[in-house]
Amino acid sequence: MAAAGTCGTGTRSTGSMVAAASTNNVTSFQRRGPRASGADSGCSRLVSIAGTRPSVRNGQLLVSTGLPALDQLLGGGLAVGTVLLIEEDKYNIYSPLLFKYFLAEGIVSGHALLVASAKEDPADILQKLPAPLIDDSYKKECDEDVCSHKMEPDIKMKIAWRYQLLPKMEAGPVSSSRFGHYYDISKRIPQELIETSKWHGFFLPEKISSAFNVESCSLTPGYMKLLQFIQNIIYKEGFDGSNPQKKQKNILRIGIQNLGSPLWGDDICCTENCDTSHSLTKFLYILRGLLRTSLSACIITMPTHLIQNKAVIARVTNLSDTVVGLESFIGSEKETNPLYKDYHGLIHIRQIPRLNNLIYDISDVKDLAFKLKKKLFTIESLLRAPTLFLPQVVSFARGCQRPS
Amino acid sequence: MLESLLALGGLVLLRDSVEWEGRSLLKALVKKSALCGEQVHVLGCEVSEEEFREGFDSSINNRLVYHDLFRDPLSWSKPGKALPGGPLEALRALDKRTGSGPATIALDSLSWLLHHLPCPILCQTLHALSRQDSCPGDTLPGEQVRVLGLLHEELHGPGPLGALSSLAQTEVTLSGTMGQASAHILYRRPRQRPTLQTQWFSILPDFSLELQVEPLLESQPPSDLHTPSVDPTTHLTFNLHLSKKEREAKDSLTLPFQFSSEKQQALLRPGLGQATSHIFYEPDAYDDLDQEDPDDDLDV
Repeated sequence: MAAAGTCGTGTRSTGSMVAAASTNNVTSFQRRGPRASGADSGCSRLVSIAGTRPSVRNGQLLVSTGLPALDQLLGGGLAVGTVLLIEEDKYNIYSPLLFKYFLAEGIVSGHALLVASAKEDPADILQKLPAPLIDDSYKKECDEDVCSHKMEPDIKMKIAWRYQLLPKMEAGPVSSSRFGHYYDISKRIPQELIETSKWHGFFLPEKISSAFNVESCSLTPGYMKLLQFIQNIIYKEGFDGSNPQKKQKNILRIGIQNLGSPLWGDDICCTENCDTSHSLTKFLYILRGLLRTSLSACIITMPTHLIQNKAVIARVTNLSDTVVGLESFIGSEKETNPLYKDYHGLIHIRQIPRLNNLIYDISDVKDLAFKLKKKLFTIESLLRAPTLFLPQVVSFARGCQRPS
Repeated sequence: MLESLLALGGLVLLRDSVEWEGRSLLKALVKKSALCGEQVHVLGCEVSEEEFREGFDSSINNRLVYHDLFRDPLSWSKPGKALPGGPLEALRALDKRTGSGPATIALDSLSWLLHHLPCPILCQTLHALSRQDSCPGDTLPGEQVRVLGLLHEELHGPGPLGALSSLAQTEVTLSGTMGQASAHILYRRPRQRPTLQTQWFSILPDFSLELQVEPLLESQPPSDLHTPSVDPTTHLTFNLHLSKKEREAKDSLTLPFQFSSEKQQALLRPGLGQATSHIFYEPDAYDDLDQEDPDDDLDV
């Protein structure tokens, strides 16, 4: 007892000594770097960027493509620093939808956008993005917060009482930390979301002067200008870590529409053996180099059905990371095929990258079809349960019924 | 038909061939838009101006602004001009000229332009021509610039044809049978599914359009030329058909495990004629005939 008592006092004294030591910062355990202020995450030094998550398989940082179904097929999402190539369908109806989903997801997650097109003005493209779907309950809650600002919570939480001590999240109307949102195609994105987002546009007819001069460099002038623009933005805004940013790190989402079409000045769709046949492949190679050294992800739509030389398509596929092909049934004989009557087209996952990994992340389902409903673009598997047995099963059951 | 072709705006591609020429349809469209009061610019490359203006009356001819590239395509008669690109400059001049109001530009032949200009340059210029760059957002249908292009599809490979088709808002392919011309029209409305329509027509000497009914095919349809389908139920060693009596007998048969009312009655009231089944049981030496329930011993 006495020993315990002395021990107790002993420990008390050592405790006070330790306390004294820590106040004098004599201990060898020093916390490196500035102390995180209370408003930030505080606990860990890992900076998590909004709208991204690490892959469960190989830890690669992923962003959502805007379609949760497509995210699942690509193994969780699109890896940061890679290129997603969409092979357009014949009449170019469905590939702009995937393009718009990608950009809308960027706006909702708060990423920076870079939109490049030779056909449409990027401002017009942004106006036509689909509106995100927010839960009604969340919306009502946001409305209540707006009305009663800074109201003290009178209700005491009995079970989760620890959460009362945490500060309330000041969230905007739609900004959420969820990965992958749903969108309503029939509605346009609200104007204030576009205005609060940071976007850069590249519209080719404005950037290219009307001089009809043949450049001697190997890249088409349109591609050269686009690469310079992208490099400029990445460097200026610091996506490649060149300017150490004080503010939160962010992802740059690049969207290039109709790459390879004649509107970009490339005649790869017009002739089979053209002089500038390497222009497109060089562009993709340099673009991938730019992406790998920066925090950005890129989506490209390309009219591969117009490219005359099949070898070029194979090269383009090899130079991209993820390749998804869309095949619509309009005008083909599959339109009348009863197997496809519920769907609007097939979606082919042609390539999935193998990043820091030994195996590919391929999903088991290979027969995929898509359907464009009034508000939603869905991707489903073509495999269905055989319906041949169904009527016979019903009659068999009917025959067995006994009148009681 | 002409109104629907002109309504969409943008690039209207008329694909013709040797058998079914498209210049008369082009002139019909030009006449229609001139009658609507629009400004019509014609870039003539393949035929002379007199030949193009032939058949139009004076009111339409006054509305037509003709840019002639046929007479002197390389500008040899004007040695002072140092512009390198004749047709391209002419196209770009057209773009600048139609600044106000709705206008129709007829390109007499896109094939001629494709042979003289690189395809991407032509596509970019056509896109700039058919785009409305003054008004942001959706423009009124009356304010649009329409570009009508005549393309001889036999002169080009699939590459340029595909490239120009992807640019066009409306694509008309001319064909026909037995002296009757038909147009397969593909409408590519923005953000909507493309629609395909086939229209039989003929063009009158004053370049107005007359719609025709699809001509009846006098020859046999090709499906009759196939061998008649073989009936597999002939020449069988067994009988697949039932006579009427057999069918009646089959329908009135009750299946053994189907519980019908007769069976129910038979079970409820055992008939005189029917012997109820008895079980005859001879107990063996080893049988336990104890009637008690062995579970009664359990002390549960």
